[in-house]
Amino acid sequence: MLAEYATPLTFIALGAVFAYSFYAVLIAGQLSLGQAGFASVAAFSAATLAPSGDDVGDVPALLVAVVIGMAVGALAAVVLGLPTMHLRGVYLAIATLGFAEAVRVVLLNLEWTGGAQGLGVPRILTVGMAWTALAVVAYWFWRMGRSRYGRALEAIREDELAARSMGIDVGRHRLAAFVTAGAVAGLYGVLFAYYVRLIAPGDFDFSAAVEGLVTAVVGGSTMFLGPLLGSGFQTMVPEIQRAVGVEAGWIRPFLAGLLLLVVILFLPGGLASLIPRRTRMPSSVGGGEDGGTSHLAARRHPTPGETVVSLSGLGKEYGGVHAVRGVDLEIGSGEVVGLIGPNGAGKTTLVNMISGLVPPSSGSATVLGVPVGRTPVHRVAAAGVSRTFQHSKLFNRLSALENVLVGAHLVSRPTFLRRLLWLPSARRDERASLEHAARCLQRVGLGDLAGNRASSLSYGDQRRLEIARALASDPSLLILDEPAAGMNHVEAAGLSELIRSLARGGLTILFIEHNVGMVLETCTRVVVLDFGEVIASGTPEEIAANPAVIEAYLGTADEEPAAGSIAEGTLADPTGGGAHAMPPDTRTPDAVTNVDPGSAGTLPPPDTTPRSAT
Amino acid sequence: MQQLLNGIFIGSIYALFAIGFTLVFGILDRLNLAHPAVFAASAFVGIELVERGGLSLWAALPIVFVFGAVLGLLIERLAFRPLKGRADAHFAGLISSIALAGMLIALLQWRYGPDTRRFPAGSFPDTRFEVAGAQVTLVQVVILAVSLALMVGLTYMVTRTRLGRGMRAVAENPTAARVLGVNVDRITAVTFAISSALGAVAGVLFAINVNTAQLGMGSAIELKGLAVIIVGGMGSLPGALIGGLVLGLAEVFAVQYIGSSWRDVIAFGLLFLILLVRPQGLLGARRVREV
Repeated sequence: MLAEYATPLTFIALGAVFAYSFYAVLIAGQLSLGQAGFASVAAFSAATLAPSGDDVGDVPALLVAVVIGMAVGALAAVVLGLPTMHLRGVYLAIATLGFAEAVRVVLLNLEWTGGAQGLGVPRILTVGMAWTALAVVAYWFWRMGRSRYGRALEAIREDELAARSMGIDVGRHRLAAFVTAGAVAGLYGVLFAYYVRLIAPGDFDFSAAVEGLVTAVVGGSTMFLGPLLGSGFQTMVPEIQRAVGVEAGWIRPFLAGLLLLVVILFLPGGLASLIPRRTRMPSSVGGGEDGGTSHLAARRHPTPGETVVSLSGLGKEYGGVHAVRGVDLEIGSGEVVGLIGPNGAGKTTLVNMISGLVPPSSGSATVLGVPVGRTPVHRVAAAGVSRTFQHSKLFNRLSALENVLVGAHLVSRPTFLRRLLWLPSARRDERASLEHAARCLQRVGLGDLAGNRASSLSYGDQRRLEIARALASDPSLLILDEPAAGMNHVEAAGLSELIRSLARGGLTILFIEHNVGMVLETCTRVVVLDFGEVIASGTPEEIAANPAVIEAYLGTADEEPAAGSIAEGTLADPTGGGAHAMPPDTRTPDAVTNVDPGSAGTLPPPDTTPRSAT
Repeated sequence: MQQLLNGIFIGSIYALFAIGFTLVFGILDRLNLAHPAVFAASAFVGIELVERGGLSLWAALPIVFVFGAVLGLLIERLAFRPLKGRADAHFAGLISSIALAGMLIALLQWRYGPDTRRFPAGSFPDTRFEVAGAQVTLVQVVILAVSLALMVGLTYMVTRTRLGRGMRAVAENPTAARVLGVNVDRITAVTFAISSALGAVAGVLFAINVNTAQLGMGSAIELKGLAVIIVGGMGSLPGALIGGLVLGLAEVFAVQYIGSSWRDVIAFGLLFLILLVRPQGLLGARRVREV
């Protein structure tokens, strides 16, 4: 009975293993087509180097070959990955494809591979062995899914920049995913070689790579069962057609293509989306502050009064436009600093520099002892800086709780390897992270929406979720970029209260806000920026009475508007700028004319060169 | 000299094929992997037009152009439009176009069988010229002329006409274009139509050049097309032209000086090198990431 189906079953397993090598990178949002090359190099090296089954027995020979193949595949991935990891999307796909094709042609022209004739390999693999290998691979990815490492990869897939800001070393994670793909592809190459008896470089060509990618995507690239389902689908469609008597020739490939089209169009998450995705919730929330946090890494926070941010002569220039100019600013621990100013004043550019996203063009900045600008974003985050973005950058396809869990990346411990071994400590750590994340969600009032997808939340809830995510890293400095945008009065008041309660806990907060009323009542100090320069700094009372501030906000009749508005890109601000959020007493028609149509002549002409014609 | 000319002829076909590829990528940010199937299909249709319809080689070209445009509309409607607005539209578009390509090739197999097809004997004029000591056939000259004319026409359309302006607007920012009254759906459909029409003409020209059409001819050129648009810069039309010529010449000279079996290593070595040094390609513009 089983023997009858042994061949298709073996091919399902082989196809699934190969698809997992694509899954390994797709989960991190990378599209690579180099796996065929890895498999090819691995298969030929293993078949040549491994001892013969006659000398050491079949199974040991296969095991040695598998080890060689996986090592070679992983090594090839490192060699290819190091120079190509800075490439994204289609570029990475084509660079890796170029590699795979070059490998194929080189192997085709070498003596020891047998060239186009191929290399004979004994058939050792049985259906049982193939499925055992598949089970191991699937187990690996299953345990990875809910680990800190797996979540970090998903975060990178959803939004790389936000992942960096959460302290995830994106380069290392991407390379790790790539090397995993290389090892799994190597495994596939070896298994394939020891099943089909004769391997030729042509077995690992472009169409093989496309087949692997199709299998992974059809099955679903966001759930560990996806590649298995995809391989079952891809292998069984022709088999079933044969069984029900669909004649060979053109109809079979036509129907296979049609089915593939239907699946991809009507099942966005692949076949795996038919399986309901379980969202995990912490079993007990608020089981004592100390009970949960003891499993989380402790962070050192600056003592009250210690300098947290120190900027001197900080400036940023975009092609001649000074977005920020000569800013000197010191922020001490425990301060709540509000950063206000008209649209295009350079506020977002300034906080982007402080959080390490944008290198300054002049001056220097030290944040929590780290020289920002020369430090990667994830290191700045590791030093204790956490932020939200002007336009929400959530991990859209993850649940609210998972978003916050990613935020807790820096304070939670790696759990993947311990999860592979089912160690209880990993379970405890995961539970601690979950409870910590749930507390952060409750703190911003989203406790009930933990299981909802981030993209399904309302605008105001998304902003709150970003704050919860930022809080989850237990930061020393929290930067909020227009947190109240899109919130109504009641919500803004709640936010103000939250910020003050965080400050009472010793957190240093820097926030940009257009709701001047809220800034004045929340902050201990207010800094006003206009045309990229600090025009005033002081207590809320001083700022409210400062004539320069009033002028910047209300403008004067003959003043030419700011050129900096282009640099900050606020012309395209979908929130419509900040005037809407200002309390009625400060709101005048002129407050929004920071960028008025008449100013077009003073702005640099927009670049009309089309991308398609350059 | 002979090799140089041969390189230019084959390179101009690569360029024409790649321009269709890069047009869709540049404007719509989608990689249409059904493009090679259009290339193959049009070669078969071209041969049938000459063989059964009794048309001359050149009269078949405009018909194939229209045929390609219709295929392009179908591809857009079936494989890309349903994916609009999906988060994974990138990957899904790749797969759906691969699926459609498979269906298209299956249909070709049904209509024409699995064998190689050729133009009927005597359909090529045998006029020859001598250019600086090299032999050039009239057919080759026409191939070059048609390719160049189509590329110039496309460039004119994109840079000078209202439709082209709409395309550039969509390329910059589809949402803004829609708000400003550009019919994005129509622009998308037209872009696919033009892209596929160019790919179709490239297919016939290729079939004329080597006098064969095979079911697998699309996948053979697919890789080269990808290499060309990377080398030239994703989405760049002049880049695709230069990339096509560079690839054609590199191949011809590699065959002559290194040996035919190493030909593709040159192409992909070049591709790899360019990606490392200049990921945006020779003429591509680097896109700025927003915060």
